[in-house]
Amino acid sequence: MSWTTRLRILYQTFFLFVFLWLLARLAASDPRDLPFGAFFHSDPLAAVAVVFSSATLPGALVWGTALLLCTIVFGRVFCGWVCPLGTLQQLASWILSPRSRRESLAVNRYRRWYAVKYYLLAALLLAAAAGTLQTGLLDPLSTLARGLASAVWPLLPGRRPVPGGWIAGALVLAILLASRWIPRLFCRVFCPLGALLGVFARFALFRISRRQEACTTCNLCAFACQGADEPLGQHRVAECHVCLNCTAACPEGALAYRWLATTPPAEAPDLSRRYLIGSALGGLVAAPLLQVAGGGRSVANARLLRPPGARAESEFLARCIKCSLCQQACPTGALQPAIGQAGVEGFWTPVLVPRRGWCEFACTRCGEVCPTGAIQPLEAARKTGYDGREPVKIGTAFVDRGRCLPWGMQIPCIVCEEMCPTHPKAVWVELVQETTRDGRRVALQRPWVEPQRCVGCGICENRCPVGEEAAIRVLSVGETRDPLNRILLPAG
Amino acid sequence: MSHDASTFDRRELLRRLSAAGLAAGAVAAGAAFFHDRHTPSSRPRAIPDWRLPGAAGYPAVVAARGPDPAANVRRAVAALGGMERFVRPGERVLVKPNVGWDRLPEQAANTDPAVVAELVRLCRSAGARRVVVTDISCNDPRRCFARSGIAAAVAAAGGEVIVSDRLRLVPADLAGVAQGLEVVEELLTAERVINVPVVKHHRLSGATLGMKNWFGVLGAGRNRLHQSVHRAIAELAATFRPTLTVVDATRVLLANGPQGGSLADVREVGAVAAGTDPVLCDAWGAVQLGVRPTDLASIQEAAQRGLGRAEVGLVQELGTA
Repeated sequence: MSWTTRLRILYQTFFLFVFLWLLARLAASDPRDLPFGAFFHSDPLAAVAVVFSSATLPGALVWGTALLLCTIVFGRVFCGWVCPLGTLQQLASWILSPRSRRESLAVNRYRRWYAVKYYLLAALLLAAAAGTLQTGLLDPLSTLARGLASAVWPLLPGRRPVPGGWIAGALVLAILLASRWIPRLFCRVFCPLGALLGVFARFALFRISRRQEACTTCNLCAFACQGADEPLGQHRVAECHVCLNCTAACPEGALAYRWLATTPPAEAPDLSRRYLIGSALGGLVAAPLLQVAGGGRSVANARLLRPPGARAESEFLARCIKCSLCQQACPTGALQPAIGQAGVEGFWTPVLVPRRGWCEFACTRCGEVCPTGAIQPLEAARKTGYDGREPVKIGTAFVDRGRCLPWGMQIPCIVCEEMCPTHPKAVWVELVQETTRDGRRVALQRPWVEPQRCVGCGICENRCPVGEEAAIRVLSVGETRDPLNRILLPAG
Repeated sequence: MSHDASTFDRRELLRRLSAAGLAAGAVAAGAAFFHDRHTPSSRPRAIPDWRLPGAAGYPAVVAARGPDPAANVRRAVAALGGMERFVRPGERVLVKPNVGWDRLPEQAANTDPAVVAELVRLCRSAGARRVVVTDISCNDPRRCFARSGIAAAVAAAGGEVIVSDRLRLVPADLAGVAQGLEVVEELLTAERVINVPVVKHHRLSGATLGMKNWFGVLGAGRNRLHQSVHRAIAELAATFRPTLTVVDATRVLLANGPQGGSLADVREVGAVAAGTDPVLCDAWGAVQLGVRPTDLASIQEAAQRGLGRAEVGLVQELGTA
């Protein structure tokens, strides 16, 4: 094994470990202020797509440009040396497929359909420009983080399964298994981040250079080529992951990774202009289709509770990259990936499910880790209203009098009132004396909700002792982020 | 070496016997290793009685007043005969404060950290091998233990905090309305237990005191107990019999309980009571809250069941230091 390969494996191991460790710490509610979002802040796909969809480059996402600059200098080193999903695929293909040299040569040949990722990128970015951000569906960082959040962490002791989590897990599994047949199939064919980096890798200052006179066309360079970029032929710089397997493999020393290489001439991505325009148009058309026919945006959805600090639905959907960081940050497990609750567009965006967990009154973790500002960071005093202004509300609780013990069954209870964190409590009780059917007198305390005070945190619904469906439920009406989704007139 | 089909020599006999013996040994070792003696077929675990005999000659409950909560604890425990009376060298002690809410000590929703830490310190100097402080919080447990100041104070005093999501819950032998609920395993394995409630308002039970503090060692489903809360409290008091009860009335939450929020609802009382009669402890706590013990059905029911006496006059007041 050459020193370049050793060094690359060292880098890949390091970044994979850091990625997994950060998310594991996040999911374990580590109180330290670790850079949980670092990988996502330097994700240029998220940065470019959010610029397309919301015309702003939120905060730390500006680091994405650093990765683009890095790509312009060194090529797609991110794909070959950093990307944790790429590393896992490489590992999977190494474990799953002991190949003959002939087969290796065949699977690492370039194929025209490897250009699909560019069409996908065009479609996703144009859809973003038209108002629906869907890059997160295939962004490799979001994809892996989601798989961990929804299908891997729930396996740990004391964790609960995530409804619909298997879809995110199955996607990661399929990506890894596909490497059995074609190494890094996802990188080569689907990865929109790889495609974006490929667009900039065309300008790479460092690239593979070949001394034509030394080359005996022995094909050894192509055996372990991760990007299927054909270092032997017209080298496809945009496809090259800079794994440097080819320079290590060349027995003649004809290949090198070099500053301002001239030969071989770089091959532009093999794109059909017609397809490119077609996919861009497809993206443009898909956006309004998803918005209109996909359901979710036109009217406020009662059970679509968004995390505290979430922007208004349209702005939220224009920024959420479905990375699941908020889901992993939530200490009560309340945040879940939406499957159908937020329409087709909102698939895998976070939704708060009070029966699973509640929004901890003074907790602001989801907004702290959100890399794109879809959930805006809040100070605890701002969220709770302790700064003297109106607290941040995510909904309003409603008592279901048929199911409520004191209201519907003449049985004492108080749990929702007891749990209510606001001061004075939004849930208050009215003392009544009732006569049961057998003539007994019972004193009951019947809960009422004062909508001005309710922040919709859902701890009442979470702790309600009535079985599957609680007798007090939080609906999204009254949420701070939507000025139209209201019950009450503004105060004053 | 060849063998006749019908006979075999001594060597072959030994070989087969030892092979069979090894296999049997492996099976037995595996069974012994995996067999869970403690919960055979998930039979509910018995709840031990942590009380100590020899109460004669000591007051049942002693109350101390003064601005320093730790000094109040020391004086009250000393008047009961010192912590050495309750904790023997080498014992494992569990201290159960109320750490239910993500609130500051000033908001009086949780037991005062100075009271908890002083108890840990007394247990340690009495020779306790391990002092565990735990509670199943209502809010996010990490926030509760951090914000209440209890995590830091207990660690500094040499105790060990176990945050609720690290606790194991096991089926236990609970009677009456609590039947079927799970209990913190750490409690069942402790040799001595000190219950350290804080005095505060509660709209259903009238007050949250020591006997109601046992809600905090129960797992999911405990919210159903509110349907018959007075009976539940009395039954829990009959089930969990602590070595010592220490009632924290350093600050008392008068309204909006049990989690409060506003300092306007908090009254500085500056008192701590300690004793071996949990009912009398609660009766004293009720008085600090401004509630007559006779108005609290849970205290009346517990007294009628013979779990203790509810006559506040029996409390020995040490006065202000």
